[in-house]
Amino acid sequence: MTDAKRNKEKSGEISRRAFLGTSAGAAAASLLGKSEGAAAQTAPPAVRATLPGQSAEAADRDIGNARPPVAVRAVQRPGSDLMVQVLRDLEIEYVAANPAASFEGLQESIINYGDTPNKMPKFISALHEESSVDMAHGYAKAEGRPMAVLLHGTLGLMHSSMAIYQAYQYQTPILLIAGRDDTNFLRSQSANDIAGIVRSITKWDAHPRTLAGALDAIQEGYRQAITPPCGPALVVLDTELQKEEAGDMQVPAYVPPQITGISTGEVRAVAKALVAARNPRIAVGKLRTARGVSDAVELAELVGASTSTRATLVPMSFPQRHPLCGPGSDTDYDYTLGLETGGIQAAIIGPHRRTLEGRDVTGIGYGFIREPPTPLWGPYAPPKPSHNDMHADAEASLPAIIAEVHKIMSSSMSNAVAVRSKQHAAANHEAAVAALKKALEDRRRGWHGSPISLARLYAELWILIKDEDWCLASPTQFSSGHNRVLWDHNKPYSHLGMHGAGGIGYCIGASTGAALAAKHRDRIVINIQCDGDLNMVPGALWTAAHYRLPMLVVMHNNRAWHQELMYAQYMAGVRGRGGDRAHIGTTLRDPFISYAKMGAAYGVESEGPISDPSKLFAALKRGVDTVKQGRPYLIDVLTQPR
Amino acid sequence: MKTLHLILVLIFMQQARAQDLGGNAEEGERLYYDFACYSCHGYNATMRVPLVGDASGIMNSEQLFLTYLRLRADQNPVNPKNSMPNYAVSTLSDEQAVDIYAYLRSLNDDPPELADNPVMQEMLDAAKARGKGNEK
Ligand SMILES: Cc1ncc(C[n+]2csc(CCOP(=O)(O)OP(=O)(O)O)c2C)c(N)n1
Ligand SMILES: [Mg+2]
Repeated sequence: MTDAKRNKEKSGEISRRAFLGTSAGAAAASLLGKSEGAAAQTAPPAVRATLPGQSAEAADRDIGNARPPVAVRAVQRPGSDLMVQVLRDLEIEYVAANPAASFEGLQESIINYGDTPNKMPKFISALHEESSVDMAHGYAKAEGRPMAVLLHGTLGLMHSSMAIYQAYQYQTPILLIAGRDDTNFLRSQSANDIAGIVRSITKWDAHPRTLAGALDAIQEGYRQAITPPCGPALVVLDTELQKEEAGDMQVPAYVPPQITGISTGEVRAVAKALVAARNPRIAVGKLRTARGVSDAVELAELVGASTSTRATLVPMSFPQRHPLCGPGSDTDYDYTLGLETGGIQAAIIGPHRRTLEGRDVTGIGYGFIREPPTPLWGPYAPPKPSHNDMHADAEASLPAIIAEVHKIMSSSMSNAVAVRSKQHAAANHEAAVAALKKALEDRRRGWHGSPISLARLYAELWILIKDEDWCLASPTQFSSGHNRVLWDHNKPYSHLGMHGAGGIGYCIGASTGAALAAKHRDRIVINIQCDGDLNMVPGALWTAAHYRLPMLVVMHNNRAWHQELMYAQYMAGVRGRGGDRAHIGTTLRDPFISYAKMGAAYGVESEGPISDPSKLFAALKRGVDTVKQGRPYLIDVLTQPR
Repeated sequence: MKTLHLILVLIFMQQARAQDLGGNAEEGERLYYDFACYSCHGYNATMRVPLVGDASGIMNSEQLFLTYLRLRADQNPVNPKNSMPNYAVSTLSDEQAVDIYAYLRSLNDDPPELADNPVMQEMLDAAKARGKGNEK
């Protein structure tokens, strides 16, 4: 790294003068009560107010008067440098965190260690730990691999817990690292077993006691996260290990996990059935990575199978507009193979989180690890496993199936496949055009209405992005999911699906994470953002602005927690009273919130509110153009409730 | 339940709109908003469950509208399969309901035809063109 570059980064790319702002400088200086030049050297220490039970040192440190003793860092090769090297070897692109002392050693290594400091991983500032984990959730859904998150002891884990829970429910791989600091100031920020806070909602955790153990644990955490059932894995790193002198300790070589597919016998049976079938079909659910998607495409093309997809609902499924995707020319399928989707003739379904029962230490039965204690909608009935189900990871099974099909396929069969594929393509195309035509007819209604029809919003946005490489990162059910019929979901990351457990606040963070993934991949991220969701953790907007992330935020501003308004309305009806009072506690009125101002406050170029539908397209175009230049953009749109 | 609906619909279809009591549309607009009818039907009654124009059979006559509303209330106030909330007489009087009906009748929706909507037309053209590559 050149000195110039290091110096630029050292200054945070913003000089002190710029920090104070040319015009704001004087005001800021007067705030400090000093002239700008003098302020730094002579500013009096901030006034210390000690809390009951708080040591003077702790209070000093909290307000920034104290620095950790320099001697602690006076090591040649801190343990945390090796930790960063492990992350680098794992090709972890980003580490999101809200800064904290319990991982100060590791944080310092991330930003300073090596020839290319703060790169692989790059430190990403998050304004809330829930955002950190949501970012990692969105990133991993788009890329099929984890990024990392640093969390501060008990507090960071608690702040992030809902986001961890949702990633757990969605089986999204995330490498969580919690700093643990027993030796210092506020003891309440540490505990013996901090991982216990989230044990029931993580896949795996470890609290290594040696530096060598810590390096192994980071690698194992990564392996655990990406091995199905995928999920968040947590490594607790004591502050001492981060600061320890590593001497000549070597970083262990990473060994990737062996993810097992179906047995050789099963491979043969599946390949044989696919090749022998007159009209085979492949039903594709959510695979793990883009490689799985391309293998599924290869297999379908190889055997000329029509396919179904979940790409309009989840990431990593079959391309929606692939010529083979659709009902096909003949719906009398004589052999259907499911890939991560059950309830059909022969399904390959990977291990799911239900196999993690041992980690449900609380006995709460989170998310159907066990049967819930009380029936929700009638008696609980787990999906009926078919006796034909093969319990193994579908993606890991595909290469062997493809190889076997190649082996047994004769040239006459290949000809039949070619004919069949052509017929499927024609039928699927016709079906898709007919479905779109019908969908558009249904969506003409209210086209000129104000507030703006969500169908119009989706349609106009589609025109602007259809030739771009895009990723729809927001859940869409609250905006009526018009993308499902109006858009083409052809990439593994076209749509990142739902929250995981319906937890509001997920969307803005996950979209920001998806935009981190998109940034160096010439991709743009679309986030149709509900107002209630944004208000939970809006600080992610600053992260998007700070890192110049290509995220278009189009507000679905219905000025309500509208889903809940409908519930309240229904409840009042059931009880036969107060049908005109459902807005109480469910609406965001009086005052209305200005999302354009909110965006601007966080440094995101923003406009709106737009309620005139004739003004929408131009605004969306400004948004898409800005995002294509690598900057986030927010458009506040007053929308119909659904 | 479905059959009962149908029978009632048929009976009341007979009753001409001439029998309409004639509600107050202005008052209806306020009630439509206060009672959060917009939450499913949209602010202009054009959305998810549209009522505008001839979008819904229950808008055929005031009587039918009222009957539907009360049927929903009396027959099965808790019915997860039916997301229309219950508006019992104690909550929303017939008079108020008729005001809402009048308001709904005063609304109209005049969206462009598919062929006259450049956005929709472009979408459709793109979808049609996509098939071109498949023919080879
Ligand atoms: C963390 C959390 N708190 C509360 C809820 C309950 N809840 C479900 S939907 C919803 C409303 C969300 O409002 P918004 O995101 O604006 O979507 P809208 O329904 O208005 O389209 C709420 C509060 C939840 N799901 N998650
Ligand atoms: Mg809302």
